[in-house]
Amino acid sequence: MHPYETLKVVQQGNVVTAFLDRPDSRNSINMRMVNDLSHLVDAIDDAKDVSVLVLRGSTDVFTCGIDLHEFAAHEKRNIYGLQKWEHVCRELERLNKFTVAAVQGECTGGGFQLALSCDMRIAERRSVFRFDEVKLGFLPGMATFRLAKYIGFGRAKSIILTGRKVRAEEALSWGILDRVCDQVSFDETLTETVSDLLPFHPVALEMARRLLDESYATSYENFLGHFLAAQYRAINSEAFDRLVVGAAGQGKRSEVGRIGTARRRARGK
Amino acid sequence: MIDVRNIVSPRKAAYRRPTTGPRIVSVGTATPPRKYTQDEVLDLFQEKDPKVRRLFQSSHIDTRYLYLPDAIDGRMAEETNQGLLDRHLDGALEIGPRAIEECLQPLGLAPYDIDFLCCVSTTGFVVPSLTAHLIKKMIFRENVQRIDVLGMGCNAAVNGLQVVTAFARANPGKLALLLCVEICSAAYVYNGSMVTAVVNSLFGDGAAAVVVRQDGADAWQQGPIVADYEPHIIPEALMAMRYTLEDTKLSFFLARDIPHEIGANVEKPLNRLLGRHGLKRKDIDHWLVHSGGAKVIDAVQYNVGLTEHQMRHTLAVLRNFGNLSSGSILFSFKELCREGVIGEGDLGIAIAMGPGTTIETALLTW
Repeated sequence: MHPYETLKVVQQGNVVTAFLDRPDSRNSINMRMVNDLSHLVDAIDDAKDVSVLVLRGSTDVFTCGIDLHEFAAHEKRNIYGLQKWEHVCRELERLNKFTVAAVQGECTGGGFQLALSCDMRIAERRSVFRFDEVKLGFLPGMATFRLAKYIGFGRAKSIILTGRKVRAEEALSWGILDRVCDQVSFDETLTETVSDLLPFHPVALEMARRLLDESYATSYENFLGHFLAAQYRAINSEAFDRLVVGAAGQGKRSEVGRIGTARRRARGK
Repeated sequence: MIDVRNIVSPRKAAYRRPTTGPRIVSVGTATPPRKYTQDEVLDLFQEKDPKVRRLFQSSHIDTRYLYLPDAIDGRMAEETNQGLLDRHLDGALEIGPRAIEECLQPLGLAPYDIDFLCCVSTTGFVVPSLTAHLIKKMIFRENVQRIDVLGMGCNAAVNGLQVVTAFARANPGKLALLLCVEICSAAYVYNGSMVTAVVNSLFGDGAAAVVVRQDGADAWQQGPIVADYEPHIIPEALMAMRYTLEDTKLSFFLARDIPHEIGANVEKPLNRLLGRHGLKRKDIDHWLVHSGGAKVIDAVQYNVGLTEHQMRHTLAVLRNFGNLSSGSILFSFKELCREGVIGEGDLGIAIAMGPGTTIETALLTW
């Protein structure tokens, strides 16, 4: 992997792990990191030998949020840096690989948004999630758009308007997190989470994600049209080819044969 | 602080944008005077079949401009083939010249200045061809070079562009004009079948013209260079979109599987086109996709991975005009130019699909 100034990137098999790495500023997100993430996501997008991208921080902090040093102190500030940041979150959200956020310790503002942009989120029990932006006088980016979809309007309002801390257990019970574990079992839990996601079928992943993304925003009729276009693509993908060929070639009892058995049963044979 | 506006992907930065080449320097469009909602068309034809009514109403089309005859005693008269051919020629010679005038006027040009005229139409057949009729009507020069593109359907704007850009590239400084004029209401057949109902619910009339020239004095503000083309034809689907003869009238047939066929193949030309320039889809700023119909738009959108925002012109043109056949992507192009969002160095992709079955793509650079 390309060396990055603000990220430490390691690849093990088909899993790439990117550690947010600005130890002097609690991994705060500056423009350099935004650009590094942008390049990383782009490279992973192209990589044929990668199935999962894991985002991690240090052992006690994922990130404390956007680095305020990036804003000019005594002149009019433009929006373009934040626009680029939102763009990177979107690219991450739509990456053609699985994405996992693995959080230890503080996860504030932009870090919380990075986690929401991933497919899965796991955290160590002592982790704390927080959007402090409104308390500080600005906005938590497009997290305002994403968070309510995860947990509903009322809870999102409470988290974003009060800036209150959400502990890992609470985040788990609300469905923001998929798993919570102790420090000692963190790596093991992460490995399990990653293996739960595999095998990796890029077409099915991308299509399912896009459809889910539309689920609160589109009418049934429009969604149906999109679904049919997506499903046509999925049932003509390599993965489905293998499944169907496998089902045709194997006996009733095999894993893939079940579909055929269910169909025969449905037909009353 | 880093000025992020200058941060582009390394790929896009590495792409060597052509500085000269055939440029689309103006666009004009025109439609028939009368606009119909889908309900108005159904009422005009006293359509009672609930399946047909549902088809019209779920077409994602609000209005279309059409040359429909007036109802007599509340009924549409049976039309002759001659009547339909006349409607095509009369319509083409009404909205064609209006689109050309709208296109030439901002450049301070007259038809007399044009060196090459290409006219695209699939919805009627006439000898002498439309270019000859237009030359007489609009007073083009007697030595204007010309070509008529017939029978290529919805993708033909890109094929027409291939011709005019080749002329412009070979003749720097000279002016080429492309006109796509489709009177789809002259290819309507009413026989109560779902096949014709699909066609009658979808297509609209319209004309679009562009001027193309290669001139070293032009810059990105004048319009995009058409940098490259990549076609893709699917011979197995040869008969999926075709004219059939219905008594004496040409009737358009659209196979049910077309949207899926297009969806399954659209990435092929796109990947080849972008690949040979070292680009990826995310480097593309503007998308001009043919407004073929709701299903084929969904198929392209999902297979290419485009957002509603990236499809906004495609969807708006479908909603306001229906499927304009060849002129469609030029209507989208005009909408894009009007928005004022184009910047120097922007890249665009045009995708148009039609009979063959074919998918035509083009790369535009500003």
